[in-house]
Amino acid sequence: MDPKLTEVSQHFERFKAALVRHDYDSCDNLLSQLKVFLTGFRSLPPLFEDTPNAVEELTIARNIYEHAVLLSVKVEDQGAFERDFFQLKPYYTDAHNRLPPSPQEYPILGLNLLRLLVQNRIAEFHTELELLSPSALENPCIKHAVELEQSFMEGAYNRVLSARQTVPHETYGYFMDLLAKTFSFILYAFSAISRDEIAGCSEKAYDYLSINDACQMLLFSSDQELLDYVKEEHPEWEVTNGNVYFQKAKESGPCKEIPSLQLINQTLSYARELERIV
Amino acid sequence: MTQDAEMKELPAPLSSSSSSVSPSTIQNLKEIVSLIETGAYAREVRRIVRAIRLTMALRRKLKASVLSQFLNLVLPTGSEVHTRLSSFLPKEDDCEMDVDTATQAPAKHHLPEIEIFCYLIVLIFLIDHKKYGDAKACASASIARLKNLNRRTVDVLASRLYFYYSLSYELTGDLAEIRGNLLALHRIATLRHDELGQETLLNLLLRNYLHYNLYDQAEKLRSKAPRFEGHSNQQFCRYLFYLGKIRTIQLEYTDAKGSLLQAAGKAPIAALGFRVQCNKWAIIVRLLLGEIPERTVFMQKHMEKALRPYFELTNAVRIGDLELFKIVAERFSSTFSSDRTNNLIVRLRHNVIRTGLRNISISYSRISLADVAQKLRLDSANPIADAESIVSKAIRDGAIDATVDHANGWMVSKETGDIYSTNEPQAAFNSRIAFCLNTHNEAVRALRFPPNSHKEKESAEKRRERQQQEQELAKHIAEEDDDDF
Repeated sequence: MDPKLTEVSQHFERFKAALVRHDYDSCDNLLSQLKVFLTGFRSLPPLFEDTPNAVEELTIARNIYEHAVLLSVKVEDQGAFERDFFQLKPYYTDAHNRLPPSPQEYPILGLNLLRLLVQNRIAEFHTELELLSPSALENPCIKHAVELEQSFMEGAYNRVLSARQTVPHETYGYFMDLLAKTFSFILYAFSAISRDEIAGCSEKAYDYLSINDACQMLLFSSDQELLDYVKEEHPEWEVTNGNVYFQKAKESGPCKEIPSLQLINQTLSYARELERIV
Repeated sequence: MTQDAEMKELPAPLSSSSSSVSPSTIQNLKEIVSLIETGAYAREVRRIVRAIRLTMALRRKLKASVLSQFLNLVLPTGSEVHTRLSSFLPKEDDCEMDVDTATQAPAKHHLPEIEIFCYLIVLIFLIDHKKYGDAKACASASIARLKNLNRRTVDVLASRLYFYYSLSYELTGDLAEIRGNLLALHRIATLRHDELGQETLLNLLLRNYLHYNLYDQAEKLRSKAPRFEGHSNQQFCRYLFYLGKIRTIQLEYTDAKGSLLQAAGKAPIAALGFRVQCNKWAIIVRLLLGEIPERTVFMQKHMEKALRPYFELTNAVRIGDLELFKIVAERFSSTFSSDRTNNLIVRLRHNVIRTGLRNISISYSRISLADVAQKLRLDSANPIADAESIVSKAIRDGAIDATVDHANGWMVSKETGDIYSTNEPQAAFNSRIAFCLNTHNEAVRALRFPPNSHKEKESAEKRRERQQQEQELAKHIAEEDDDDF
């Protein structure tokens, strides 16, 4: 075996050990060293040279980046997630004819989809989705993310929240013991987004809600939390007689005034255009 | 994905100019060559454009024997190009030339335009006869030659070659291979200010990316590449179509609708496949925007059959019936996946619910959420809670005008106000006027005037004088050009 490759795999073993120990600082150090090592391999993207050890090198590099993604999720660093994911992506898209598929491919792609959803980058979410084959869309990890997005668009927030319980744990397999907490973290982020969405919707849809109902809907466990939230985020809501009134936030009736300035502008532009024609 | 192949060329309207006695194909080819020659000497790109148009009319009549005869005629025998191109043509033993060609004994001058034209015509022949392997080899050879040529009169021919180059690779399914090459060609075209070439190559690259669903890369290239309008209507149509597709995927539906409809409208009547594709995408985008396309869209000539699945789909969305929508989506899933619109149709589910909800809200002034859930056929664990949150989101997004009474569990629709008391009609009127004015302006801008048509006819002597001057000027400019490089 190539000495360089051996060195990398030794480092990688140490990195994995540190990850299991939750020793994130040394993980970080080892990972940077590993990435530097990887730059020495000429078989990796974007060069894709046919070296004798190409398959081993590609496999270990892919493995390293998969773990790097994992690490970034664990330390909740979204920027690092994005960078590592983009480095990993060519291994899935461009190297698939050189390598056997990775068992972690779909979980990672699913994670990335969830990340885009959490960051509300829906356009990118759909762009990523287009890249997936129909069989990939059937994979539970991917399907989960797709269904989440749909529920989100429809406004079925309670389905979004119940998705927390239906995370396809077993399919994440090896990752699961590492990811158990991560998922609740991501979905926690979801519930925060959902809460703001629900609040926005409720304000328009209801005249008032009882405090109990409001708590339930906005996912608060106690009245006090709700009151704090109202004070902080929606000071215009009024809480009296055990009810939350949204009425105040509503816009006043339709404006009867004629938008004269706008009309003048429009008419002038018509005149100008007509003059050009005649 | 044949739409572009079908859109390739318009039937040439000019072919009639030389058809009174229906001369042989070889005669036609010779005429074209002389057209190219004059074009090349006078540096008139217009003539070469016409030559290409004439060639396309001849396309179906091309035969191997005619072609090899033609090659013998215009290319010096024994030259590299001649041997290479001849090797692509199947051998047929009719070695004796026609009397016609023998008598003329043409001068075998070696213009690069003619050489490129030979490449082009052989390539077209190979593609038409489904010899894709040879076509690929021929195309690559021609591209290698093109890289060393820098003449404005070649540009038109070159852009055609680029197109067939890409087409031959697409037909064998190796589109990814030539991506790097296309990018390099695009760079060269940019450096040479070859605008038509840039336009063509940009489209080919977009097509290349979209073939593999690489929307991200396509958008990045599109937003950074310089763009020209008005060199070629076909290229512009294609560009609009690709742009529409990218925007649809990235959820910019309003812009997407604009580009797709414009592409469908600008496309020549003969390009049926292309227009069908544009219409399919435009229909989905309009549905996603919450519009219902008119029935006439589906009734366009020769399109009824192709648009049938989309018609059914529209119907399901219009009624707002989730069940029907599911059935349609499943029944035509093979069509949708071959059109690669499957993911978009998944997105439509949300619109079906919206329409259903709007219908309910119009017909009932008050309805319980349980009934709403039942009518929308929401099959979930907790339909009432689902219905409630769906209704409240629809209210927030302005899809329906209603309030929800949580305590009693019902939805109360508000009285719909008189639309004419608002500014709505004014806005609608304004957008229509703006559209008409814009159309007019674009039409004016697209008008082409033949040079000097407004002047009095000049005397023969004057003309000769002027032409001489122009040629000298052109020579100067060309020399300066050469100095630059």
